[in-house]
Amino acid sequence: MHAPNNPFRKQVTANLRIEAGINWLLRLSAYAIVVAASIIFLTIFWKGSKALVQPTFPFINIGFLTESPETLHVLEKAGSPTISMGDRALREYEKDHDVSGYHKTSYVYAAGGIFPNIVGTVLLVIGSMTIALVLGIFSAVYLSEYSRQGPFIHMVRLAILNLAGVPSIVFGLFGFGMFVLAFNWGVSLLAGWFTLAFMVLPVIITASEESLRAVPRGFREGSLALGATQWQTIRQNVLPYALPGILTSSILGIARVAGETAPIMFTAAFVMRDEMPWQVKHFTDFFFQGVMALPYHIYVVSSKIPQNEYTEKVQYGTAFVFLVVVIGIALASVMARIKMRNRYKW
Amino acid sequence: MSTSAKIKRLDQRPMKDAIMSKNKFRFLGLTLDDFIKYFFQGNALIAIVVLALITISLFSSGIWFIPQNYQNLVIYRQAGLEYVDYLRQEIDDHTALTRYLSNLRLQQMQLLLKEGKTPEEAQAALTPLDTFITAYSDAATPLNDMLSEQTDIAAAIKDKHNSQQEELHGKEMLLKAGKTEEAAALQVEPVDFKTAVHPLLDMRDTYIETNGIFAETLSNLVFHPPKMVSRSLQPKMDRFRDLSRTYLIELPKYEDQIMNWDQFKPIPKYKALTSFLFGRQWLTASFWQDWYGIIPLLVGSLTVSFVALVIAIPFGVGAAIYINQIASPTEQNLIKPYIEFISAIPSVVLGFFGIAVLGQSMRWLSQQEWLAWVPGFPINERLNIFTAGALLALMAVPTIFTLTEDAINNVPRAFKEASYALGATRLQTILKIMIPASLSGIISAVLLGLGRVVGETMVVLLCAGGRIEIPDFMQGLGAFFQPVHTMTGIIAQEMGEVVQGSIHFHALFMVGIILFLLSLVINYLAQQVVHKYKISIG
Repeated sequence: MHAPNNPFRKQVTANLRIEAGINWLLRLSAYAIVVAASIIFLTIFWKGSKALVQPTFPFINIGFLTESPETLHVLEKAGSPTISMGDRALREYEKDHDVSGYHKTSYVYAAGGIFPNIVGTVLLVIGSMTIALVLGIFSAVYLSEYSRQGPFIHMVRLAILNLAGVPSIVFGLFGFGMFVLAFNWGVSLLAGWFTLAFMVLPVIITASEESLRAVPRGFREGSLALGATQWQTIRQNVLPYALPGILTSSILGIARVAGETAPIMFTAAFVMRDEMPWQVKHFTDFFFQGVMALPYHIYVVSSKIPQNEYTEKVQYGTAFVFLVVVIGIALASVMARIKMRNRYKW
Repeated sequence: MSTSAKIKRLDQRPMKDAIMSKNKFRFLGLTLDDFIKYFFQGNALIAIVVLALITISLFSSGIWFIPQNYQNLVIYRQAGLEYVDYLRQEIDDHTALTRYLSNLRLQQMQLLLKEGKTPEEAQAALTPLDTFITAYSDAATPLNDMLSEQTDIAAAIKDKHNSQQEELHGKEMLLKAGKTEEAAALQVEPVDFKTAVHPLLDMRDTYIETNGIFAETLSNLVFHPPKMVSRSLQPKMDRFRDLSRTYLIELPKYEDQIMNWDQFKPIPKYKALTSFLFGRQWLTASFWQDWYGIIPLLVGSLTVSFVALVIAIPFGVGAAIYINQIASPTEQNLIKPYIEFISAIPSVVLGFFGIAVLGQSMRWLSQQEWLAWVPGFPINERLNIFTAGALLALMAVPTIFTLTEDAINNVPRAFKEASYALGATRLQTILKIMIPASLSGIISAVLLGLGRVVGETMVVLLCAGGRIEIPDFMQGLGAFFQPVHTMTGIIAQEMGEVVQGSIHFHALFMVGIILFLLSLVINYLAQQVVHKYKISIG
């Protein structure tokens, strides 16, 4: 039913076909990234949920979240069912069972849970974010409120930009050389806090400055016109409106701090530690103790023990918990930012 | 004093005074506000301070590597290890030729079996070749015996020197602790390198004799090489003959090196640094000689990054163009945050995924018949450059995507509208207007992506394979399926195990310095690109 004489009829030329083809190529590249990321998420969620979710009440494997890592022993004997249990459970079991004929294989850290690791990561995040926020916000206040164009400010901005590009392992090396050895803090929470804090500093400063700049000029000018000093203006008319924004955009910094392994490898992380962080003799010891951390635990269980059906549970389980935590934090940051945008409109 | 009285008093003062006396507090001529300002300014310094601290802490540790490495090289020469390594080089080159022959034999064998011969028949057809290979390889036996004898002697000298150094160190510690008598009782005999290497030098005459016989045997063999059973392999045999002849011609060179070796020839100071920067071996905790050459690690880092960028650039830039120019609003709202979200995946989780899933699937895929044409397939190691590169690509994609999208977004609407007004299609507008206009932004995005990839630790530590060797690029693209080790990986792996203050410890800091400088250079380039090549938009 087409009119052959219509001069405005769309003609399917070779050029149009090429264009459609290239459009499809571009579309494919976008979707390929999405698919690749989804495969990773789904694999880890699917296999990790096996370690964490159980069919019976309370549906979540509480032990995995509340116990310490243990060695897993697998006892095999031809003709009888395979026994696999953790270190403590096996000792109980040996009291009233005969296990002499079994062939025993052991996998370190493959039983028990990851409670100390979660605690360690939380402690690292809290401490380093506190340091980074204090330093970062003060720094941003100067950059946004006081600074005038000049060589000093140029240097500062250059330093921030370059600091953002320094590899995390170099921060680890720096923390090790500086805090662990030169300051003689040892492998400790304190060393890890400062290393991680310095690492996220550029993120925090940039985010804080953006939030400060988002506060309208009129707020400052109005306050100054009424005779307030600059500090009074900042404290009463700028910071209160910028602070929520600073905090929400800093959540992304938390994801970075929680997710990095390289900086804490030789500054704060222990492979295994029997005491919990609060079991210290004197309160100052709290700062000078190493902790177990989730990302380092993933590194240890994925590189130091073999991959098989017995170790899979703890490997995927830890990765799953860790991914959920980090992605939860990142999601929270996105949500908070959307909420913020709706709250202040000027 | 009541409030009204205060106001009254204010009113009675001159106008200027009333305004200026708002803040009476002054210290060193500065008001409270000034102090607050300087407090914030001091905090703004933090980025510079941290950068300076990193530089200081890296260099103050790394710098010790240079004198230690110099000492390392001096001992290498004086204890005669260098002398022995000349002979080792000669034998290694011969072994390489033998390996070439064995490879040839393997190919011939496979060819014969393919032609339908039974293994016994094939074996029989290969007998002349086998005799030849055995004779060729056995020619070096006397030299080999000599080498192992010399190795023992030189290693013993070095061990003696090392233990003597330790005793000296112990003596120093005693002196420091104030135990003078005990220190005096500890007699340390320094190793006399000159007399110690005499047994080695005495072997020279025997060596010349043995080498003469070796050369004669080889030349006899090489001038009558066996004919290959299959004619197609004959060129390779001819090539072997040529290689062998070159080797024979070069034999006097090894002799010269050994005869003219000077134990006390001074080593130039710059060697301590150049042997690190251009050294092709990273060999630690060996009984013989430790080498700290960064080249294998640097090449490892660069090849992995190269693979990552080759994958990430088309996908990242393509996706950015699609999302910014072509996609529907729904797609934009879903895909853009999702891709930005990928940057939140912790690298150690990606590394774990590489070990647990990607490596295995890669190996399975490489063993499929229909993929046999891909160079390097089937792969030997499941963890290799490609595995690490593919995962790193996923880490670089969000950076490249976000910054490219920003760059395209910053191109003024008028450019696009003018292009459409002239009758260009959407594709023409994208390719000829949008991309050239945002090219500086795209390049800087790629550079920042590179910075992220080069500095990434956990993925390469877990997935790059951990073999400290320069990949064999003679294999062409197949080289990208070989395992490597990287600069970041080596620091993470070895830092926890080395003795503090040892040369190895300081060498790792040197690697850190190189990494730090590399990241600064990449950052600098990214900024320069944006500044210099920004087309004037106005």
